[in-house]
Amino acid sequence: MADSIARPATTTTRRPRGRRPIFRFAGTYLILLIGAAVAIVPFLYTISVSLMNLTEANGGAWLPSSPQWRNYINAWNEANFSLYFWNSIRIAAITVTGEIVFCTLAAYAFARMEFWGKNLLFSLLLATLMLPEAIIWVPNFITVSWLGRVGPIPWINNWPALTIPFMASAFNIFLLRQFFMQVPNDLWDSAQIDGAGHLRYLLRIVIPLSKAAIMTLVLFGFIGTWNALAWPILVTTTPAWRPITYGFFAFIDEAGSQFNLQMAGSVITMTPVIILYFFTQKTFIEGIATTGLKG
Amino acid sequence: MSDAFLTGQDASARPAVRTPDTTARRGLLAGRQGRRVREALLAYLFLLPAFLVVGLFGLFPLIFAAFMSTHRGLNRIPGTFDGLGNYILAIGDLTYFLGFWGVVVLVFLALQAVGRSATAARDKGSPFWRWAAPGIAFGVMIAAWLGWLIRLLPLLLDIPNQMRGARNTPENFRRLLGEALATPATTQLLWLTLAALIVGVVSAWIVMRNRHHRIHYANYAGSFTLATILIGVAALIGWLTWAELQSNITESLASGGGLDIGSQMILISAGFLLLWLSWRLWQSASRRDSMVSVMLRLGGAAMLIIGAWVLVAEAPRIIAQGDAKWWNALLATFYYSLGTIPPQLIVALVLAVLLFQEIRGRSFFRVIYFLPYIAPFVGTAAVFKIIFSSRPTAPINSILSFFGLPSQAWINEPAGILNLLTPGLQLPAWSAGPSLALIVIMIYGVWSFFGFNTVIFLAGLGNIPKEMYEAAAIDGAGRWPQFRYITLPLLSPTLYFLTLYSVIGTFKAFNHIYVLRTGAALGTTDTASVVIFQTFQRDTRYGYASALAILLLLVIILLTIVNNRVAAERVHYG
Repeated sequence: MADSIARPATTTTRRPRGRRPIFRFAGTYLILLIGAAVAIVPFLYTISVSLMNLTEANGGAWLPSSPQWRNYINAWNEANFSLYFWNSIRIAAITVTGEIVFCTLAAYAFARMEFWGKNLLFSLLLATLMLPEAIIWVPNFITVSWLGRVGPIPWINNWPALTIPFMASAFNIFLLRQFFMQVPNDLWDSAQIDGAGHLRYLLRIVIPLSKAAIMTLVLFGFIGTWNALAWPILVTTTPAWRPITYGFFAFIDEAGSQFNLQMAGSVITMTPVIILYFFTQKTFIEGIATTGLKG
Repeated sequence: MSDAFLTGQDASARPAVRTPDTTARRGLLAGRQGRRVREALLAYLFLLPAFLVVGLFGLFPLIFAAFMSTHRGLNRIPGTFDGLGNYILAIGDLTYFLGFWGVVVLVFLALQAVGRSATAARDKGSPFWRWAAPGIAFGVMIAAWLGWLIRLLPLLLDIPNQMRGARNTPENFRRLLGEALATPATTQLLWLTLAALIVGVVSAWIVMRNRHHRIHYANYAGSFTLATILIGVAALIGWLTWAELQSNITESLASGGGLDIGSQMILISAGFLLLWLSWRLWQSASRRDSMVSVMLRLGGAAMLIIGAWVLVAEAPRIIAQGDAKWWNALLATFYYSLGTIPPQLIVALVLAVLLFQEIRGRSFFRVIYFLPYIAPFVGTAAVFKIIFSSRPTAPINSILSFFGLPSQAWINEPAGILNLLTPGLQLPAWSAGPSLALIVIMIYGVWSFFGFNTVIFLAGLGNIPKEMYEAAAIDGAGRWPQFRYITLPLLSPTLYFLTLYSVIGTFKAFNHIYVLRTGAALGTTDTASVVIFQTFQRDTRYGYASALAILLLLVIILLTIVNNRVAAERVHYG
């Protein structure tokens, strides 16, 4: 210990760096590559099985002898994917639009405005994050069917039940509030001098400055809607508004042991989200990292 | 600031013109206050849509579920009132235990809230007890309003039944809604709410008027309001528990059977008390000198053993009274949590530390690791179902047979893991560990979440100052000491966050477990959420499903508190 302090600092720091990097990085890369392989192999296997013929798929082959592209057409037609695809897109579009409007307004109020009961309302909002999904199934199902039976339009098997309950979430409001709070105060002062009110300031300055946050919200909203399963099972008894996740879940049973068709359906279900992810992965991962840490 | 300065200048310049000046000042004050009121109103307007949605579909469900859980009936809404019957069905006599201690804890929390702010008020020298009147009045107001909501609920739920067929018109709905709102039972509570509001506002106004000094002046009504609501909830739970106990006693006396509620109650309470005491002893032991510490630790250990023994001895009787399916679900959830969180955190930590070096392709690895988390789980779970299927030609089984090992049923295997590992001896189901099917679901859980944890760990590593490592390197610390004494302590907030997040997440988990469950696994993979879903969706037992969901929420709250307590001592916010 005393020796190492007595020696010039440069030698102690340089020596391990100078000699070891090849071994060290070789080991590092090996572990990292094993991790990457574990992460990616199930996806490759999905694609592989989706291109097999029936005997190969059920016989436990690893690779198709000749790719059977027809599997995709068959799966698409058998599972009625065109309807489910369109449904999921419609549901996602409505939910995300509502989310942007509602959550932006609420997040702005929490970030920039002074009003009585702010802390109380904010903690009530955050408390909803702890509720398990299981506790809201029964009450929300009853509420939604009640609203549909007394209101002008049905809610079950229709868009309201699938979209309206998800238009404002504590998580999104929290995320946007974090970003809005980072907008410098000077901008608000100068906007006020120019005679702008809160709404104009929000629309003209805060939103354009928080494009990245809103993009994150759109992505989360889209993927969350695409992935929902429990709630769509409860509120879609007919295929009319059934989203793709539920459609594919039902198809797993229908296709039975036709693993090649199952996997073709799986690829169809996953592709939009994965494409979206690859195009926006930077925004996405950073969004997760920042909100995850600050949450 | 500049306005006040300006008016002050005005006043000194023209002292003769008094009236316009004071009106101007008053007008200015009104203007400023008016601006604040306008801003607050605008803020409420901004919050309105979000809070309509969150309130109706996020907060109200909690009250609604509590209401539904006291009702019974198949596919009937709300069904007939049944007190705590659903809870008795699920967890047996443990309900009375929970009810009793729930009341005790709520009353304690209420007293604590008042006591804490009384101390704070005394320290600041501001009046405290005069806030009791408005505080309690506001508490009564909120409690009465919640009571009104609960009384109104069954009437509202009945409206659709009266609107069948041709009578389904907006006019009819408005008439029925008016009738429901005008029922004496509900209007009474509404008047009580209003009266409490008036009393609260008037008494608050009196307190504010009579204030003697403006310095150190704070509003302590909130703690009284909270205490009132807590005591109200405690009274409700106490009443429900007592009513259930009464009917239970009458029933068992009528059938000639004995009662063991008393002894059970005392034994379970004593067991938990001993566990808690041993924990406290253990804590205080670390602050004493060696001899006393050893004695305290021994005492703590003895209490731990006795307490655990009492609980273990009592457990079979309690479990036998409850719903076996529900206990199995809780056990499966517990296994799932225990089998998923440590592996995924360790894997993620290793990968994050390795990635957090000057190496090529960092972002590439990050993107790949994150893929399982982001991909739609139905798709990936379907693949896992095939990879881990019981066919001898399935991928995992063919790998096993390549190494000469017998193939397994994997996702379809209901037998416990310990029974499979030790074919010779047959353990009973409860001690055989998680089933192999549940293990497959755990593997899926680790696979799909390790990337998420890696990303969060990477962000946490990025927050550690580089100078720390440089200083440690100068002192000659190697890689392991650097990791042990710098990275790990400074990463502890992230670790704590991820642990809490994963514990809550695993206890909430539903989607992938629901996709991966098979009939052949005989329900060994059904976690709490899955059982609740089945009770609701397949069996249409709305009341029972709500009661189970409330119990799950209690478990989650308890775990959060335990997690916070443990973390408070270990997390290092550097």
